[in-house]
Amino acid sequence: GIGVTSTCEHEKKFISKSTKNHLFSSTVSSDAVILVAELLKVFVEEATRRAVKQADSEDCDTIDIEHFEKILPQLLLDF
Amino acid sequence: MDEDEAQKQRLKAAVHYTVGRLCQDIAADCEKQITKQTIAAIAETAFRQCDIFAKDLEAFARHAKRHTVTVDDVKLTARRTTALYNYIQQKSEELALNNQELKEKRKKNAAKRKSKDMEAEEENELED
Repeated sequence: GIGVTSTCEHEKKFISKSTKNHLFSSTVSSDAVILVAELLKVFVEEATRRAVKQADSEDCDTIDIEHFEKILPQLLLDF
Repeated sequence: MDEDEAQKQRLKAAVHYTVGRLCQDIAADCEKQITKQTIAAIAETAFRQCDIFAKDLEAFARHAKRHTVTVDDVKLTARRTTALYNYIQQKSEELALNNQELKEKRKKNAAKRKSKDMEAEEENELED
């Protein structure tokens, strides 16, 4: 399968830092940070997989920005 | 303000790097290529989504009259799609289980150390 889960720890830290800095006056529990990282990871994976499907449906071997643009509206509605 | 902007750029770069790796892995797994432009677009979208999540999280915590964002707030953020909600629910249960196991490990270690210390004290007394 994919080695995505194994790259997680390092990336979770980046993602969690990113979230923390957007907050204004609250603290975030450490478990919540981990979950938000998970949520964002799913978001990115879902975006990519849907773009892949779109490219597939158009018989393309390369995922182009147009493929991503086509799936973006529904992606945002689903999240 | 400049320091904030610099920090923001660093975060964006970090997110871009991580997103790039995630995208490449998935594209490779699906035997497709993905353009740099597409990765940049996904990274930018993810960064903005982060902002949306953060605003939601803070609003939920404030609504519950808390100063700390908790796991429950995160679950609420993932409420729009059932599959997503269930996935986050499952992850939160795994986390709780993990914390429980760590707690029990620490208790055991503390108990072990206590009994070792007591044995060492007894030996010292005997030597005197």
